[in-house]
Amino acid sequence: MKRRHWVRLDNASNIFPAARSDVDPKVFRLGAELDHEVDPGLLQEALEESFERFPLYHAVLRRGVFWYYLQDSDLQPEVRAEAEQVCAPLYQADRRTLLFRVVHHRRRVSLEVFHALSDGTGALWFLTDLLSAYTRRRFPGEAPAGGGDAEQVRPGASERPDPPPARIGTHPGAQAAEEVHELTQDSFAHYFRGRRRRREPSSHEQDFTREAAPAVLTVEEAEDPEDAWPEEGDQDSRSSRPPRRRIHRVRGTRTPDNRTHALELSMPAAPVLALAKAEGVAPTMFLTALFFEAIRRTDESAHAGATMAASVPVNLRQFFPSTSARNFFATIRVEHTFGQGDDAPGAVARRLQEAFSAEATPEALERRLHRLIRVERWPLARIVPRPVKDLLLSLINQANNRSLTVAISNLGRVTLPAPAQAHVGRMQFHVSAVRPQFCAITHDGQLTLGFTSPFVETAHVREYARLLTGAGVEVSLAAARTTEEELAGVDP
Amino acid sequence: MRTCTDCDLRVEGDWERCPLCGSVLHGAEPGGQPEPSPYPAVPLRFSRRRVLRVLTLTSLGVIALSFLAQLLFRHDAESLGALRTVWLGVVATWLVVLMAVSKRRNLAKFIVYLVLAAGGMSVYWDYLTQWSAWSLTYMVPILCAASIVGLLITVRLIRMELADYVVYSGLTVLLGLTPIVFLSLGWVGVALPSVICGALSLAVVVLLLTLRGGAVRHELATRLHL
Repeated sequence: MKRRHWVRLDNASNIFPAARSDVDPKVFRLGAELDHEVDPGLLQEALEESFERFPLYHAVLRRGVFWYYLQDSDLQPEVRAEAEQVCAPLYQADRRTLLFRVVHHRRRVSLEVFHALSDGTGALWFLTDLLSAYTRRRFPGEAPAGGGDAEQVRPGASERPDPPPARIGTHPGAQAAEEVHELTQDSFAHYFRGRRRRREPSSHEQDFTREAAPAVLTVEEAEDPEDAWPEEGDQDSRSSRPPRRRIHRVRGTRTPDNRTHALELSMPAAPVLALAKAEGVAPTMFLTALFFEAIRRTDESAHAGATMAASVPVNLRQFFPSTSARNFFATIRVEHTFGQGDDAPGAVARRLQEAFSAEATPEALERRLHRLIRVERWPLARIVPRPVKDLLLSLINQANNRSLTVAISNLGRVTLPAPAQAHVGRMQFHVSAVRPQFCAITHDGQLTLGFTSPFVETAHVREYARLLTGAGVEVSLAAARTTEEELAGVDP
Repeated sequence: MRTCTDCDLRVEGDWERCPLCGSVLHGAEPGGQPEPSPYPAVPLRFSRRRVLRVLTLTSLGVIALSFLAQLLFRHDAESLGALRTVWLGVVATWLVVLMAVSKRRNLAKFIVYLVLAAGGMSVYWDYLTQWSAWSLTYMVPILCAASIVGLLITVRLIRMELADYVVYSGLTVLLGLTPIVFLSLGWVGVALPSVICGALSLAVVVLLLTLRGGAVRHELATRLHL
């Protein structure tokens, strides 16, 4: 009789099962383009190897009376030829499946993950490990260089607060995986709840607990940003912000079968970095300002006084070192009102940067996270049955969605360990979305922007591309067929 | 790679028109063959779901309405008896089918739902046919006892993990104890079926707690974790 090990899905990650819908299954995809057609047999072997190293990825999600919980399983993952849309649903209630999948199509390998399991950084570790294991098998002659080159690139420290990929992206997956096993305490308890003694379970169970222990704080949808910032540092930004400002939201026609509309713009990273540098801002805020501009140009209803808001995730591992592959990020909301002064993308980016910098400090984040954890630990909140929690969380999520125009996520510059580095070209990053969104990732000097949206309209991406090409950047587009017209000739 | 002159960008894959602006793309591939797309074309899958949803909702609506309609007929409408029985049978069949479809991934849960639905319906049926307590006397105990036996067989036949069925087995057994309550309240005419059902449930409870006590406690602790 096998007694399964389990660990509660923390309150912060609970938002993902609760906010999951047909339109937005809360799945994200990380992909890599290799220099050859993928060999499924070797990829399967590589997957089995990586899977061994990431006990967290063995978990299935189950529903308790009060909380969701992750439970260890004996399921084995299988690589498959890509046959579903980008970010197809992964978790279905009552269906005990792994919370991730690995698919391949021609030269691409993609890892899709249900967000309650892991965040972009954790998934990037897994993908890095997978790609290393694969390329080691595919090119056995090329000995790994020991990851030394990867360690040099650490953009995070100096360039803060641009969501620095910090050690994250540049952290070789294998190394990260090993560190995970060394971890004795979860980051969540470590940083925000004070020290507690933990039980010592055995072997696999031990790995599972460590990896699955809640490291999280998805502040994202959990709280009204106004309430989240009560300290004096925020006094002026609060008083300057008129109460109850209507945030411009993008509307459109839903895709025919609720699939995520995925478009991908790739370009050399250097010219874009140069453009951002010329404006004196971090790349993420520059790209965000361009996004606002693209939406303003394409949306007639975005009048002069329109306010646009974006949510930008911040990887907490850069402030609170952690090797947990679980969710460990907070989101910061930035906004801009058009028609009040200089609306040029550069000026907008500078203002966004200012607001972002003020909030992306360890002190500000820590205050906020302590607060959230207090709410989670509140006895009354704990005894509310899970279906009621789900309902409340999905209502909070909806309210929060109303205060956002777009969402942005930047994984930054990724460096893979050898020999994967040599055989991987562009990388891709997409997140299922209820609103237009882009995700950026840079590898091998190529910046890829993965645009996702629940709508068939593509005008904002067209404007975005034109803004970039207008500035002299060479852009290429890859798109998944989505609308009924585009799929007219495709047999089911 | 083809280019869109309007958007001034290159388009990967076998597109004829720009996916962004819809204008015709320029520049053929050197070999004449279009370059394959980095994304596979995934056919639409929605219509099936839409049909299923419409069917389910319509069926549920019809079932609910027919239950209400039965209440409008007088108890003494003798000629309606056969018709009513046939119609309730049809409705019950559909209800079970719908439940089976929605709970197909969790057999143990389905059995609990089945016992609740079938028990509730027989009580309702009994009420429509001038309450003679046949439902509580025979139907509910037989149903509960049968479901316990059914569950035991299911667990034997299908390789289920203990965690997957232990909670719902527990619920089934608890339901099996309810006829005892009816008996003590004097709601039943003949005691035997209730006694057999109650005894069976008690036996299973004891069995479950002695053989799988640890697992049951573990599973309950997991599910009830605060």
